[in-house]
Amino acid sequence: MFPIDIRPDKLAEEMADYSRKLGKGVENLLNSEQIDTGVSPKEAVYTEDKFTLYRYTAPEGVKQNSVPLLIIYALVNRPYMTDIQENRSTIKNLLAAGQDVYLIDWGYPDGADNSLTLDDYINGYIDRCVDVIRQRHGLDKINILGICQGGTFSLCYTSLHQEKVKNLVTMVTPVDFKTPDNMLSAWVQHMDVDLLVDTLGNVPGELLNWTFLSLKPFSLTGQKYVNMVDVLDDEDKLKNFLRMEKWIFDSPDQAGETFRQFIKEFYQENGFLNGTVKLGEHLVDLKNISCPVLNIFAEQDHLVPPDASVAPQENSTSASIPLSAR
Amino acid sequence: MSEQGFWNQEWMEIQQKYWQNWSDFSRQALGGKAVPKSPWENAMEHWWQVVSPAAPDMTRDFMDKMMNQGKALFHMADEFSRNFQENGAATEWNDVMSKTFADMKQGFMGMPEAGGDDALHKMMAFWEMPLDNWQRMVSSLSLMPGDMLCNMPHGGHLERFLSAPGLGYTREEQGQQQQMMLKVLEYQQALQDYMQFFSNLGVLAVDRMQTRVGEIVADGKQIDSARQLYDTWVGVCEEAYGEQVMTPEYAKIHGRLVNALMGVKHEMAVMVDESLGAMNMPTRTELRTLQTRMQENRREIKGLKAEIAELKAALASQVAAKPKAAPRKKAAVKKKAAAKR
Repeated sequence: MFPIDIRPDKLAEEMADYSRKLGKGVENLLNSEQIDTGVSPKEAVYTEDKFTLYRYTAPEGVKQNSVPLLIIYALVNRPYMTDIQENRSTIKNLLAAGQDVYLIDWGYPDGADNSLTLDDYINGYIDRCVDVIRQRHGLDKINILGICQGGTFSLCYTSLHQEKVKNLVTMVTPVDFKTPDNMLSAWVQHMDVDLLVDTLGNVPGELLNWTFLSLKPFSLTGQKYVNMVDVLDDEDKLKNFLRMEKWIFDSPDQAGETFRQFIKEFYQENGFLNGTVKLGEHLVDLKNISCPVLNIFAEQDHLVPPDASVAPQENSTSASIPLSAR
Repeated sequence: MSEQGFWNQEWMEIQQKYWQNWSDFSRQALGGKAVPKSPWENAMEHWWQVVSPAAPDMTRDFMDKMMNQGKALFHMADEFSRNFQENGAATEWNDVMSKTFADMKQGFMGMPEAGGDDALHKMMAFWEMPLDNWQRMVSSLSLMPGDMLCNMPHGGHLERFLSAPGLGYTREEQGQQQQMMLKVLEYQQALQDYMQFFSNLGVLAVDRMQTRVGEIVADGKQIDSARQLYDTWVGVCEEAYGEQVMTPEYAKIHGRLVNALMGVKHEMAVMVDESLGAMNMPTRTELRTLQTRMQENRREIKGLKAEIAELKAALASQVAAKPKAAPRKKAAVKKKAAAKR
């Protein structure tokens, strides 16, 4: 028996099918209007520099939790991922579960933001957002949900401002930045981040896109588009694909100094585990975290491998509940 | 086009013709009749040339990706299918398979010997994606399209010339230009190492593919569609890539590539700054210094504002607490005054 036996008629059929779907796909692509992202209604409650703090509108008839929840998203992508489409929205589900949801949209830093540091983001912007929410609700403490790099920020923040955080949820958050399966970490060890930031100033989103695509280049820049052909004739699926595509390549530039610090202190020095992360004058110690922590991570994540996320329970004194997702 | 949509009769006829060609070929598999190479691709390209001007940029880019992947997908199936059809009946399948994989390896080693056509090279183009991504990124950081640095002259005794000290009144400028050229050479060397790494990786992936196909045979299964073949290939490539890019060797190659590019850009920035300075215009370095100082000031102002707000709040709460105690004091004062009288 031949191991590869692709009959000519079958091959021709496959080709014709591929071409037919492409042909139909162009029509659907041209008909698809502006790709909308972010489906839940919200209002801006506080703005400063380039960022905006939003509060999502509670659905009617749902009793809200008296303690609001602040979502802190990563700087490297846009936060509308949390509310990307009607049937795929973390925010919608949180609202339906009675959470009073706030979210920080970091916006798009430009050259003038080059000198923003991690201290500015965490002890400045995040702290002021937390204060705004505390004041609005007359509370001492609020709940925080940090996602990816935003989770790392949330850990830093909670460690330094535990008195303002009631519960902390970290989602796909790297803590141990030097696990053996962490590709990003392996790649930046020989990178001269000082030269990079001194040369470029802000780090362009294109450089980050290249890095993320390089994690799985054949699937992410090749196979994905072949798979895409299968859904080209389905308008809804096509729109969902385009939304994801838009999000993937919608990468804001990174404030240079913040990028320098993040790569050096976390990826190169593994600062959480070695206790070397310093924000302004303050040393970050995860052992200062005493509130309950729910740590959610994915079992198959090539960006933040599960082993990188499971560290909080070993490094803080809080009651940590790890929750993995397939 | 509007009446028929993008999927018109002409296109269907081309597909039918292609199918006919294949069927004829199938019947005359051993007859030695030459079959037109990739009519599907030609037809597809023709169709896309007609349609694409009407498409917006984003759509065109998107469709380009799907077209290119479609080509890679069917080139691969084409190549395997042809080899098996042409040689399969006369020889053992594992001989045919070995030949096909040997051809693929040659493709990776930069020696395409696919019967004078570029089919094999196009199939291998799949492996150029990481490099293509890099070049797109470099292009986005530059005013010039593409990665112009990779085409700049290099090699030979250039490095020795560039190491010679500058002479005369313009020696500083000469030195700067030499430094710039040395940085370009460093970048080209780093890029070459990067490409070589992928070339080696490609050969490794072909070996893996051969093993995988062997496993499929051992399981009594068969790859019978272009898509299945493509998915198997992608899986194998991703697996080999995933292992190799985690090695210390690759970490160094990757680091060197990024650092070398930044080295070139840094030298460029120094030269641009000097030119701006000569024209009495603000340089980028000066702007950065101002930005840093301004951010320091803003940080301090925000801190002071927060302190003032805290003090105001503390004061307000003290003031709010005072009126209750005040009447008693006044009363006590009045009592004292009355006693004095």
